[in-house]
Amino acid sequence: MSNNNLLGRRNFIKGMGAAAGVAMAAPALAISEKADGVKWDQQVEVLIIGSGFAGLAAAIEATRKGAKDVHIYEKMSYFGGNSAINGGLFAAPDTPMQKTEGVKDSVDTMVADQLAAGRGIADEALLRHVAEHAVEALQMTLDAGSEYHPYLQQLGGHSVARTYQTTVSCGAGITQPLLQECRKLGVHTHNRAKFEGFLVGDKGEVVGVKMRQNYHFGEDQPGEVINIRAKRGVIMATGGFAQNVNLRMAQDPTLTAEVGCTNAPGATGEGMYEMFRLGAIPVHLAHIQSGPWASPDEGGFGYVSNYSIYNFPHSVAIDRLTGKRFMNEIADRKTRADAELNCRDAQGNALPPILITSYKDSKKHPNTKKVIKYNVGWKFDSVEALAKHFDVPLAPLKAQIAEYNEYVKAQNDPQFGKNMTEAKDKYIEAPFTVVRLWPKVHYCQGGVQINTNAEVKDSFTGQAIPGLYAAGEVCGGIHGVSRLGSCSIPECMVMGMTAARSMMKA
Amino acid sequence: MINLKAVLALTFGCFLSLSAQAVEIRDHHKEVIGKDCKTCHDNGIKQFPSDQACLQCHDVDDLAEQTARSEEDKWQNPHDNLHYGKELPCQECHSEHDTKKPLCSNCHTFKYDKHKE
Repeated sequence: MSNNNLLGRRNFIKGMGAAAGVAMAAPALAISEKADGVKWDQQVEVLIIGSGFAGLAAAIEATRKGAKDVHIYEKMSYFGGNSAINGGLFAAPDTPMQKTEGVKDSVDTMVADQLAAGRGIADEALLRHVAEHAVEALQMTLDAGSEYHPYLQQLGGHSVARTYQTTVSCGAGITQPLLQECRKLGVHTHNRAKFEGFLVGDKGEVVGVKMRQNYHFGEDQPGEVINIRAKRGVIMATGGFAQNVNLRMAQDPTLTAEVGCTNAPGATGEGMYEMFRLGAIPVHLAHIQSGPWASPDEGGFGYVSNYSIYNFPHSVAIDRLTGKRFMNEIADRKTRADAELNCRDAQGNALPPILITSYKDSKKHPNTKKVIKYNVGWKFDSVEALAKHFDVPLAPLKAQIAEYNEYVKAQNDPQFGKNMTEAKDKYIEAPFTVVRLWPKVHYCQGGVQINTNAEVKDSFTGQAIPGLYAAGEVCGGIHGVSRLGSCSIPECMVMGMTAARSMMKA
Repeated sequence: MINLKAVLALTFGCFLSLSAQAVEIRDHHKEVIGKDCKTCHDNGIKQFPSDQACLQCHDVDDLAEQTARSEEDKWQNPHDNLHYGKELPCQECHSEHDTKKPLCSNCHTFKYDKHKE
């Protein structure tokens, strides 16, 4: 089913000799097709594929910019994509809450933090564009009715506290209000509608899509394909491919089916691969991020993830074999995920490390009650009981806790260089709450290359592919090696808004 | 290449599972709809029912009320949940002729004692 024929639309491909021959010999099973002679079943003004943060923000912004006929298509039966089940963490610089809390921050500082995590290969222009518009995107969520915890959090890899979190500690605290806002604005939303390929005009421009209706994800029911013309163009907001084990293993063979995944089932990557077939530039596909805050005791993102994200700054992560710390608990995600994967027993089998927090500090997060109630976390009255439960050597563990508490007092961690600001006065004392940690595949840094107008760039010309825009996790290269926590929501929303603005100007 | 025999076997299997005799229907549904498959299969007999099919008889607000949980756990109400509100199509968790796990179990260890898995 190979479809390497780039629609025969680029004249210079013909000059490539043998390569062109192979391409032209590709079977007529091409998924994307020329629009010549196509019978259009429907026509819409703005066509958006995917209903997560990026798609919803794009729909709202397109409407605000004057679009009258905006349509969102969602493959799954329910709306919100992966955005509806994530942690609901939103980073932005120079926010009202930072002013209230006296946190000094700037676009430059946020970009610098992200560039450091990106290890030299992040896209500074895109990071800057997102940081500059992050407050606008935050405002869009507030206008739609999103509510946030009344405190900021400092997540791993961030040099200051700049992260808002929805009061429900979930992205649904944003997708639900945005979806309602879309409906209020008259945006048309279609579920069970699977994107099947682009329809392309004479000049290589995207003029429409093939859409499978009545599609039941994971079930054997074919549905029916129709051709939809998109007058202004198509915005691809289809997310990452963390749930597609074949595709992620093609990039990183260590990410087998045995490694868990936090994503919604629909994060399977077809939209992205179809853009590659059209000529989009693949960037950083092998950089697939695992979340170091996940638990092996529940599926997906679950309850523990947000619990540990909140608690890492005032907790110790302990290797159960040694009873010692093994990482800076608020290092960036890759550093911590790699360190956790090294926690193994004498035979080399996985030995998920534990995160120990004082109950007095952990209980401030709403998930603490729930992790205990649903048996994915435990409460202990003494260090002895804790050590016995997890089979941790007691003496070294006691010594480590005592040593760490000295670091809390001195506001300095010579062991791993952790920033102790948020740990101030938060000593590790009984009673404790404990969760187990093990990374889960969480985010695909790679995807199609876009510019700061959210236009998808063509691999041969370097120019934007006319009529095609992309936003959110389906885009690649922005974050480089490792995305910082809470930087995806602003990116999805800002680039979704940007795509809509570019399209309405085009 | 796809084995032709396998395709035939598969097709035959499908017809069997679609024949009325082999299809299990829940007793409380039998009483109401009898053997009129089209009552639910509004998209055609060989198609899944539409997302609206169940709502001909079931009211989502009533269902949400029936499965309401305490304030602390209010968002674990499968018919009015945190992630999708009241919009989750019935077929995500329910199957008339088969058993299904609730969608929540992808990520959570919640217990729904009355749900037929």
